[in-house]
Amino acid sequence: MAGPGPDAVSADLVGVLFVAAGLVAAGVFTAAWHRDLTAALAGIPLMFAGAGVAFAGIARFAAAGGPQLLGQEFAMLLAIAATALVALGLGIAGRERSR
Amino acid sequence: MDSLQTIGFYVSSGVSLAGGLGVALLTRRDQRGVALGVFGLGLAGIYLSLSAGYAAVVALICYAGCALMFASPQYRRVDAVVGPVWRQLGAIGAALLLAVLAYSAFRGDFAYAGYFGGTFGAANLGRLLFAHDALATEAVAVLVTVALAGAAAAWRVRDRTR
Repeated sequence: MAGPGPDAVSADLVGVLFVAAGLVAAGVFTAAWHRDLTAALAGIPLMFAGAGVAFAGIARFAAAGGPQLLGQEFAMLLAIAATALVALGLGIAGRERSR
Repeated sequence: MDSLQTIGFYVSSGVSLAGGLGVALLTRRDQRGVALGVFGLGLAGIYLSLSAGYAAVVALICYAGCALMFASPQYRRVDAVVGPVWRQLGAIGAALLLAVLAYSAFRGDFAYAGYFGGTFGAANLGRLLFAHDALATEAVAVLVTVALAGAAAAWRVRDRTR
């Protein structure tokens, strides 16, 4: 008699949150490790992306009440805000170059 | 989540984490720009496998822009004044943060819910952005406008003083 087969490989909310934690930690490491402040600025998009992945994962797996795509919306706004912050930071760094 | 989405999620996560480590560890700015582009590609794949296709497109465009800015030779190096001990403490802090976040994700008791948002979600997201959360959308629009105008003004001052 054939028993139940092995479980299919599947990603769940815990896996998504693990990946999000890795991205946030990589961003913090980037911001802390670089001696060059403009290079350390690259940690901001990484951290924002980690938060965005967590929000999108919540929206995909665990959004029970309220608008279901709220997490996706917040992830999108985080990506846009990260780009704006990088543009501002590198613009200020470019200005400092002439001094 | 079916098998194809699961494989896409894990592959994209690996690509994204590799790109993030490249951003953290590579020393040349063009290499960092390429690594950030790879990171954005992996992030878009993660969003796509989480049925967030519209967010994937937006993230891909935003992170490609970030990668181009970081790969540009136009900004100068600004050295921090902190010593190597503080940098190493920061790296240890990042490792501790990873441990805490991973532990809380592992021990968390989450309520799972069914998902009915569609694979791309552009129409529903548009309704959210412009009807439900119009104030947040306008706040982000103001932030982007101020940031880009400030960046353009700063670069213009630099060009004048050359």
